[in-house]
Amino acid sequence: MNVEDVASAIASNDPSVGLRASLALHRLAERVEADHVASARAKGWSWQQIGDALGVTRQSVHTKYNKES
Amino acid sequence: MTTEPAVPEALHAWAVYLRASEEARRRGDRRTGTDHILLALFEDPSVEAVLGVSLQQAREALESLDREALGALGLGSGADAPPLPMRAVPKKPTIRVVVEKNRPRLTPAAKKVLQDAVKPNRRKTQVTAQQVLAQILTLQPPDPAAVLLGALGVNTSDALHELASALAQPDQTRGRR
Repeated sequence: MNVEDVASAIASNDPSVGLRASLALHRLAERVEADHVASARAKGWSWQQIGDALGVTRQSVHTKYNKES
Repeated sequence: MTTEPAVPEALHAWAVYLRASEEARRRGDRRTGTDHILLALFEDPSVEAVLGVSLQQAREALESLDREALGALGLGSGADAPPLPMRAVPKKPTIRVVVEKNRPRLTPAAKKVLQDAVKPNRRKTQVTAQQVLAQILTLQPPDPAAVLLGALGVNTSDALHELASALAQPDQTRGRR
């Protein structure tokens, strides 16, 4: 199956596409989160504030993202 | 004889996992899958030769599969974000780095690929990229690595055949680097 076939499979409600879409959504969510944590840090947000916004502790945001900043 | 058979450039199985887990991190994935292991194998230049595609092409194919899948949900190209940064993989993997809390664990299929790849080896921590690739090439869709190979237009039986002949005469087909 190549990329063009995938495009045509979409119309037929193919579970292989649907299940992959759910993983793709998770990836997208992770990327959006990382992107906006970085921009929040750049705007001077504290880890506490970012943790509050994401509903997790400041320690968990810090361990997840600190090494990358 | 106590020496290993003359297999090309043995890798530490942990190092393959570490690289794969960084590919997973880059993608934003929770688990390290067979697709990420396939990406990690491009460390060995002979893998690019066997498959006829580059690491860059493989990564782009995954992105485009994602766009197609998200398109199926009605999410357009606006729903896009850059990949996450990868972390450096140490040359000599230590248990501490391998079991690090935030590292994406292996999926059951990915675990099986690595276990089956090391099976014929006397030292179970040593594996070649070719051995792992041979396992990945036997996978069938909807396994993520098989889907990726399909999207890349790789003929898996041809690649397996080429791999077998490359293993028979490692010095002729492997690039020197």
